[in-house]
Amino acid sequence: MAKNAPMIHVCDDWISIALADRESILAAQSAFAASGQWTEIVPGMDSITVQFDPGLLSPDEAASLARQQLNGATSVNRASIPMATIPVCYDGDFAPDLAFVAGRIGIEADRFPEWHSTRAQQVAMLGFMPGFAYLDSPDPCPAIGRLADPRQLVHAGSIGIIGRQSCIYSFDSPGGWPIIGRTPLHLFDPKQEHPALLAAGQTVRFETISRQTFDRWPEAAAK
Amino acid sequence: MSIRILKAGLQTTLQGAPFRGHRHIGMPSAGAADGLSLALANWLAGKSGGAIAFEITLTDTVFEIREPCLVAVVGSAEFVRINGAATPQHQTRAVFPGDSIHIGPSLAGCRTYLATSAEILAEELLGGESTCLAAKLGGFHGRALRDEDIVRFSQKGTAGNIDRITPQALRPHYSDDHVLRVIPGPEAENLVQDICQKPFAVGTRASRMGMMLEGPPAGTGKFGNMPSAAVFPGTIQLPPSGKPYLLGPDAQTTGGYPRIAQVIRADRHLIGQLRPGSRVQFVQTTIERATEIYREKLSLLTSLLGNVDLW
Repeated sequence: MAKNAPMIHVCDDWISIALADRESILAAQSAFAASGQWTEIVPGMDSITVQFDPGLLSPDEAASLARQQLNGATSVNRASIPMATIPVCYDGDFAPDLAFVAGRIGIEADRFPEWHSTRAQQVAMLGFMPGFAYLDSPDPCPAIGRLADPRQLVHAGSIGIIGRQSCIYSFDSPGGWPIIGRTPLHLFDPKQEHPALLAAGQTVRFETISRQTFDRWPEAAAK
Repeated sequence: MSIRILKAGLQTTLQGAPFRGHRHIGMPSAGAADGLSLALANWLAGKSGGAIAFEITLTDTVFEIREPCLVAVVGSAEFVRINGAATPQHQTRAVFPGDSIHIGPSLAGCRTYLATSAEILAEELLGGESTCLAAKLGGFHGRALRDEDIVRFSQKGTAGNIDRITPQALRPHYSDDHVLRVIPGPEAENLVQDICQKPFAVGTRASRMGMMLEGPPAGTGKFGNMPSAAVFPGTIQLPPSGKPYLLGPDAQTTGGYPRIAQVIRADRHLIGQLRPGSRVQFVQTTIERATEIYREKLSLLTSLLGNVDLW
């Protein structure tokens, strides 16, 4: 066992493994998936969790398997993961908190789309709702924080930002992230072979679109 | 080939086995909150344990049968009346077009399952058919049933001559006093002992997603938020309020509060019977014992009911 072996916590049918960086989480995810032995493989922000069938594996057996697979994990070639381009409309109707966020960053509101679309972004994990994506960015950004009063309704496709972390809402739902734009894309479509539009590890680029383009977007029309 | 909802009640949804293998894309488990009562009702109706059935919550409901089939009711409902006549739970019943099934409110416990021998048609996605309320998908148009909804059956016909009674040993006891066995979660610190000291009461903020537990605050202010990590039904989180939050079948797949404990898999079906005001005593066990309990429970169920699953 390597001396910097990750911290593993074993429950009766799931195991949570603390991993410091995105590369290790992606490598672990790939190794766990290849084994075919886990009923769930769930990346977190600084961890990955696997679930097992306790009728088939004891927690000890599962933990041994997880450790073996972690030791054998090899880094995933990021170039092999397709980049995702997300069109975003920053129209005032879709961006109630844009001025507030721009103020926190210290730029003019009309410069915000350019600032936002030139940042490096990657999908850290999905969670909260089907297809809901958490993104993080290595580029600096002051902490913005969540809204003091969460909104009762945030529309599907809304893009929130709290600092280096951003998110994309996949369904209409309550939410507390400051909202700076909206994509016409569907983040979750169960009819597709891959129902979630995004996957952990993907690089994301935001591309500014006009209100007219948004309104004419075929998927938006279907909503 | 259908059943009509005359009185839908507080929250009646189509639920069967949970969704599996999709938590990494944010898809919750959904599925029956009390998988054991579901499995019993389905067995009585000649179906597999995880087949889609009606999950009824707290208040009374009325269904009108529109084709001959077998039905079975298992759960916390106070009574079952078919055409006004008291009918016991836990046995197969033949019903005919025009019959009405009145399922009473729950005086203790929370959920009741109505299974039918005919296959209930539900929206399929990701290999499952249960209702996922958060995404408005699966089940009956992704939502709880309303008065006058008509739920269709497939053309496959019914299971034939089945006449079953639940063995006494398998009949759940529905009460408002629960003991749930727990093991420490990844961020447990010493908080598991704390939450096992005194019973909690389920708060009024209770749903299929989860429930706030009222009681002596555990480690208030000790933790803030943490980077989001995987959670499961039965995970007990500790938000900054110090009031533990017990996750249910519709829980989000990830959360940012410390995961202080996990209800063992063998006991998770009991979460489906918790209602506001229920008392919950947590008892700490070990992962080794949790595995033994789960395997014993599954083997007892399987020996009497055939292939059954708990989640």
